[in-house]
Amino acid sequence: MSGTPQDPGAPITRGSPLARKLDDFAVPALSADFEARVLAAAEARPAPLPELRRPARSARRWRIGQRIAIGIASFGVLASAAAATGLLEQLNIPVPSAEKVWASITGKPAAAAAVPASARPAPAAASTASAMRAPVEIIGPIDTPEELSEAFRRIDDVREGRYAARQQRIDQRIDAEIERRRAAGLRVPTPEEEARLRARIETAEARRKEQVDARVAARREEMARKVESGEALTRKDVLQPLREDAQALKREQQLRQLRRLPPAERREALRRLPPAERRALIEDFRARRAGGVATSAPATSDPAPEASPAE
Amino acid sequence: MTASGEPSHSAQPTADTGDEAGLAARLAARDAAALREVIARHAAVLHRIAFRMIGEAQEAEDIVQEALLRLWDQAPKIAERHPVGSQAAASLRLGGWLSRVVTNLAIDRLRRTRRLAGEEVPDTEDDSPLADALIEANEREGLTRALVAALPDRQRAAIVLTYYEELPNAEAAAALDMNIKAFESLLHRARAALRQAFAAQGGAL
Repeated sequence: MSGTPQDPGAPITRGSPLARKLDDFAVPALSADFEARVLAAAEARPAPLPELRRPARSARRWRIGQRIAIGIASFGVLASAAAATGLLEQLNIPVPSAEKVWASITGKPAAAAAVPASARPAPAAASTASAMRAPVEIIGPIDTPEELSEAFRRIDDVREGRYAARQQRIDQRIDAEIERRRAAGLRVPTPEEEARLRARIETAEARRKEQVDARVAARREEMARKVESGEALTRKDVLQPLREDAQALKREQQLRQLRRLPPAERREALRRLPPAERRALIEDFRARRAGGVATSAPATSDPAPEASPAE
Repeated sequence: MTASGEPSHSAQPTADTGDEAGLAARLAARDAAALREVIARHAAVLHRIAFRMIGEAQEAEDIVQEALLRLWDQAPKIAERHPVGSQAAASLRLGGWLSRVVTNLAIDRLRRTRRLAGEEVPDTEDDSPLADALIEANEREGLTRALVAALPDRQRAAIVLTYYEELPNAEAAAALDMNIKAFESLLHRARAALRQAFAAQGGAL
């Protein structure tokens, strides 16, 4: 018996019928010339080729980690280079400065941080004047005229910095467009034409600033009245109207651009806008038609101030 | 073979393992005498394995030759990994390496043959005068061959390596690139299938 009926997979016992049967399987001898054949074939065998690549190391995990590290480092270098060369600004991707990030973390107003170093006004007179002023610290809500003045001063600093940066960006875009046209072999504006263009943009920009200033002045008077009457203003109370003004201005520009389009394209452009933005724009448009433009947004009919020379 | 049917010793020729590393180094140096020595030590065993797997003498010889030539080609790498006198040299077993190559080549050959032949039965009877006599003479051996050949490839390899060549399970598992547990399961199934086929032939267990 070579295995019990209960275990058909048990080892095969020598001498059992199955083992005797298996032992009938005889094997013929190797051919007499087998050795000679193998030796001849080995002699004729070409030498093995050298390895084409290094054998893979066993530390696969480290290889993956190495690739990830190289990828992250490369991305960091490229992102830094793009930020440093101003590419991200050209693509309309905001690049927050370290000061802004810190201000957003600490909750303190980033007045000084928002002003680019190159555009920050640094006249000696202004610095001495600000040095002579007693520093006012805003603690909690704004409830004194001094605190409100200090808030306005900080806001003005930010606005000045933004205007300067905006002016610089306009100049850069004009220069870049002229350079592009020159490189492409297209006609470039003559110095007189360029001067006219810059003057036109500056005028539009100044007009825009005047309108915004007027709006801001109205807001400030309103806030000053509130503070004088004993009402406390939070950070939101101060900043929200400014944001609303900025949005209203943006919507006004959009409306102007939409008005220039044929009806079919205008409908299509409206359809492509995000729903909230589209709703706000339509409300503005209705308000404007109803004659309420003056209260909803600064009324301007100038061309877009950042229009490039090609437009 | 012990009473339990498990091999008590390796069927491989007992070669000094340190000597195997020296042999590999000589093969790497393209020493024909070393190859002759390897043939003398291992060719018979390898041929038995190949023949019992394939069932055809000439093909079995071709397989053994291919395995030996592969060793000839791979010898520089093997010698590099097992330098003479090192700890790695003691673990080198050229017989095991060759058994693995032969087993795999035989399984590949069986699969290829099956694919090409499509398991077809000849349409006409072989009416040559010698055929009947030959079949009658080899009837018993033929039945045994049929018994082994009826097993799936890997089960057949398991029986050939452990029953005929009396390799320990660990070495047979290594020859089939399997872990020991999986091999033991395969061997168990192989024996059961063999018994079933034997019983079907009318044999008494």
